[in-house]
Amino acid sequence: MSSEIKFKIKRQDGPNNSPYWEEFAMPYAPSHNVVSALMYLREHPINTRGERVRPVVWDCNCMEEVCGACTMLINGVPKQSCAALVDDLAQPIVLEPLTKFPVVRDLQVDRSRMFDALRMTKAWVPIDGTYDIHVHAPIIDPKVQQERYEFSRCMTCGCCMEACPQYHPDSAFVGPAPLGQVYLHNAHPTGRFFRDDRLHSIMGEGGLTDCGNAQNCVQVCPKNIPLTTAIGGLGRQTTMQMFKDIFMK
Amino acid sequence: MADSLNAHFLTRKIHSLLGLVPVGAFLVFHLWENSQARFGAEHFNEHVVEGIAVALNYKVIVELTLACAILAHGIYGLVIWWQSKPNITQYHYGANYRYYLQRVTSLTTFAFIIWHVYHTRIMVELDEEVARDLFTHMQRLYADPWIIVLYVIGIVGATFHLANGLWLAGITWGVTTHPRAQRISAAACGAVFLLLTTIGFHSIYGFKYPYEGEDQPGHADVIGDPTASDLDQHRST
Repeated sequence: MSSEIKFKIKRQDGPNNSPYWEEFAMPYAPSHNVVSALMYLREHPINTRGERVRPVVWDCNCMEEVCGACTMLINGVPKQSCAALVDDLAQPIVLEPLTKFPVVRDLQVDRSRMFDALRMTKAWVPIDGTYDIHVHAPIIDPKVQQERYEFSRCMTCGCCMEACPQYHPDSAFVGPAPLGQVYLHNAHPTGRFFRDDRLHSIMGEGGLTDCGNAQNCVQVCPKNIPLTTAIGGLGRQTTMQMFKDIFMK
Repeated sequence: MADSLNAHFLTRKIHSLLGLVPVGAFLVFHLWENSQARFGAEHFNEHVVEGIAVALNYKVIVELTLACAILAHGIYGLVIWWQSKPNITQYHYGANYRYYLQRVTSLTTFAFIIWHVYHTRIMVELDEEVARDLFTHMQRLYADPWIIVLYVIGIVGATFHLANGLWLAGITWGVTTHPRAQRISAAACGAVFLLLTTIGFHSIYGFKYPYEGEDQPGHADVIGDPTASDLDQHRST
């Protein structure tokens, strides 16, 4: 067992600065995760050349892999740093910010484009209205419920976008996660009333048709959400919607 | 809000449809017809080249429609290619490789088609000898091994692009929505790819090694094959 934990971190001083690499080493202790190791480095911000440097900046929040804030590239793989155990990782552990979002500082990125996409696709169930949406709580088949539960676990972490060859700063594509949410909310007993609106929102530029079916999203999703099933299902829904729009007016 | 008939969506759907019909359908027909090169110059020139010219009404319209469809599919395909940032070095998954290959083969096939149409279709209009004996023209081309390499690239690229395009169309039109359906369709499309590639290679082989007695242009006319002499006798009586 190594007596040290070595890190190689891609750093960037600000949104408009150029990135650079810096290496760190800290004494080994069992059961570290990447966030707890970064916390140690924050207390001891000394690089391998012995220079005292500005502590590494990163985002984190829940520490139990449900918020998605601490997502970064760890040894080239997009994942949550709170759930990445140091003992499982090859060293030096290479940390990089997600490449598909603008870097704020070091490992911290601006993920607001993902939340804009959720807004654009109306990935919610409207409950305010001038009418009763339903009288009693809707009954859902437990099997169907189980299927949809998978999609409700999406934490908008950005792993699927990071791995998607169609998603990058120059493309308008909303990415896989919001499509999963459209699929979920279209299947919801109340959400389905706004199905047409949601489908129309993904039938324009940057919508479903911009998916190239490389299917990396479903491979890297930390919650194993069947994103490609959502994309296939929405393929059917938008095709039917197209015929509906053309012929049923 | 219900801006339903979105131009972007419809363009993508038309792009997909054009790839299947008429472009994909034509490719299948084209490979099948040319695989008959194995039956020699006479059969090929009379039954394949002439046969199509005679059997097909409004050939100019059909050819122009096909050319427009290929150009529309190809040019919009370039737009789609432009929007992709392949990452096969980081993500080693089968579908990701196919995603990349779909884009690579779109470029190779598009370039191949332009060159191929020039020296097999436009040449027919420019050169009377080519028009008279397309089979020999093809044989002369295939004498150069580099041309064969180009044809192998052209055929494999086109058959892969069509077979994988079928798989993609299954997803985008909403026929194969679930992983199991997509695995089954991947196997079926793989079979389509192998079959079409075999037929395509068979036509190269046919031009290189036609059935004996017909490997030289006009050879059949000199010694005459049984069918031809029967016909001659029939005519003389």
